Amino acid sequence: MIKIHDLKKVFENKKKGSVSYKEALKGISFVCKPGEIFGLLGPNGAGKTTALRCISTLIKPTSGNISVNGFDVLKDERKVRSIIGFLTSDMKLDGFFTPDYMMDYFGRLNKMTPEAIAERKEILIKELHMEEFRYKKIDKLSTGMKQKTSIAISLIHDPDIIIFDEPTNGLDVITAKNVTDFLKKYAKEGKTVLISTHIMSVAEQICDKIGIIIEGLIKELGTLEEIVKSNNTDNLEDVFFRYLEAQDV
Amino acid sequence: MFRDSYIILKKELKRLFTDKRTVFFMVGLPLIMLPLLYTVMGKISQSRSADIRSYHGTVFIAPEMQKESPIYEEFISIIDEQMNVTINEIPEAYIPTAKDLITEKDAQLLITFPDNMDVAYEGIKPFDVHIYYNAASDYSSYFYRRTHEAIGSLADTLITLRLESLDIPTEILTPVTANRTISYEEINLAKKGSEVGKAFGVLLPFIIILYLFVSSMQVGIDTVSGEKERGTLAILLVNQVDRASIIIGKLGAVVCAAFASAISSVIGLMIAGKFFLKDLFRSSAEMSDFILSANQIFQLGILLIPVAILLVSLVLICATYARNSKEAAGLVMPLYMVVLIVSIGTSSMGETVPSWMYFAPFINTVVGLKSIFIKASSWGNVLIAAASSLIFAALLIYFMIKMFKSEKILFRI
Repeated sequence: MIKIHDLKKVFENKKKGSVSYKEALKGISFVCKPGEIFGLLGPNGAGKTTALRCISTLIKPTSGNISVNGFDVLKDERKVRSIIGFLTSDMKLDGFFTPDYMMDYFGRLNKMTPEAIAERKEILIKELHMEEFRYKKIDKLSTGMKQKTSIAISLIHDPDIIIFDEPTNGLDVITAKNVTDFLKKYAKEGKTVLISTHIMSVAEQICDKIGIIIEGLIKELGTLEEIVKSNNTDNLEDVFFRYLEAQDV
Repeated sequence: MFRDSYIILKKELKRLFTDKRTVFFMVGLPLIMLPLLYTVMGKISQSRSADIRSYHGTVFIAPEMQKESPIYEEFISIIDEQMNVTINEIPEAYIPTAKDLITEKDAQLLITFPDNMDVAYEGIKPFDVHIYYNAASDYSSYFYRRTHEAIGSLADTLITLRLESLDIPTEILTPVTANRTISYEEINLAKKGSEVGKAFGVLLPFIIILYLFVSSMQVGIDTVSGEKERGTLAILLVNQVDRASIIIGKLGAVVCAAFASAISSVIGLMIAGKFFLKDLFRSSAEMSDFILSANQIFQLGILLIPVAILLVSLVLICATYARNSKEAAGLVMPLYMVVLIVSIGTSSMGETVPSWMYFAPFINTVVGLKSIFIKASSWGNVLIAAASSLIFAALLIYFMIKMFKSEKILFRI
């Protein structure tokens, strides 16, 4: 379970002797429970990736609390990293190696035994349909193949918490469907799945709970039905654009 | 921690040493290029010298009327014997034209003798011969040097003639000689091979440091800032790997790569040396005398491993701070220049050095390497130098770990 309370993140930018501050997150709170897919929905620059980066210990929150399965991201960062599978578009794979080698490599870094790596690798390769390209150099793969490889690597240690930043971004329809089905399956198995997206249909189709984040603040939080109902409309897009227009984004 | 470092090290080495292009540029190229470069340079220089020596030049001698003088005749015979030239005797009026021809490189030399030359010689008074040449012309410069030597031979001949005419033995001019009755091998009491070692001691320490630094730059910058730039570093940071393990793993790989590249460069240089060092030493036997003992090779390793770690740490600290490879290269360059100047400066120092030098980074390695090459190294100094390099490297690694934990540095945009 991921619990976030009053999370704030301020970036300091020093340029030519002057210091400017950007408040990326202005105090967001939400809970993502095991067995559900939580979607952070927002436009570019809303703070989605910053929130996910704070949860995955890549950056430190300015204030607020984040607990992942009871572990504090500041006090137990290595423990948190051992139970999460994090994927973001900023993270790329070394094109020189093959998906198979990279899965081995990250498996070993995640303290897995060679047998456990081999077993987990076969499962992921089958689930993500990677048989054809597992021994090809990553440089030679298509965007979809690379994304599948990244997903497989982030989940090689079978984490309880899955945090994916824009997981279907730039993928073709078939690969995107493969990825969303995959996430649904993991949620069904009782894992906690947190994703960020700016694609309305992804949020509508796979998220059990949605948080609409705009300019570092969560404007709406609840199930798709709850959000739609409380805004007197019949689709998420209307709600989303109302907030965008109100904020003049 | 070291288990993770080992996993990262293995992956980095696989990345470096299974990529044919990287291996070629890192190891193969110096091994081929350096001997090739020096051989070509040597061949060009040899063929140029041969061309100059075989060049048939034009020399003007004035004034014409000196023809009958015995001194003049002697001089002409020396010139004829030693130089491949056509001698043109010219009247005084033609001197300005001759000078113009030399300036335009159409002739090489003008030699003028004074009018009162024979009188001066008879009266035991010195006389001055003027040699005009063009310093911008290799041929003219060569004939100028040879003519200078001919004037020296002429002086010797004239002195002998004078002494003989006075019935004085020529030995009177050499009351004492040095080492005429003893061989060079007998008088030179240096340790076997230490003479060659002295020359190596001036050249090799800074060359080794130079190649280690260049190789560290080539690989180290890409290993950290290149990965930051490509986004391949972040994926490591979200796994349960300690930051120190990442640094040690990467550092180890860069040290191995730097060593491989530096060793290949030094071997390339040694192969090239077979060509260009042959003029530096009296015989090839001297070269073969230069053999390091097992103890000295061990000392070399003790000195070089810490300095390689220190150099790689310097490069990696810049690479960690930089946003991209270009910025990293810009940050490393001034450090490279400082290390280079310090190394060259220390290489040219005398044999006795103050003890503080064994504590100063880079200086200690150059001084230590020199002492090994001239076969005067002591374990105490070698260990002090190695420990000092390691302490500085450890400090840099500590700061690098701090930097790796700072999101402001790691995610600078």
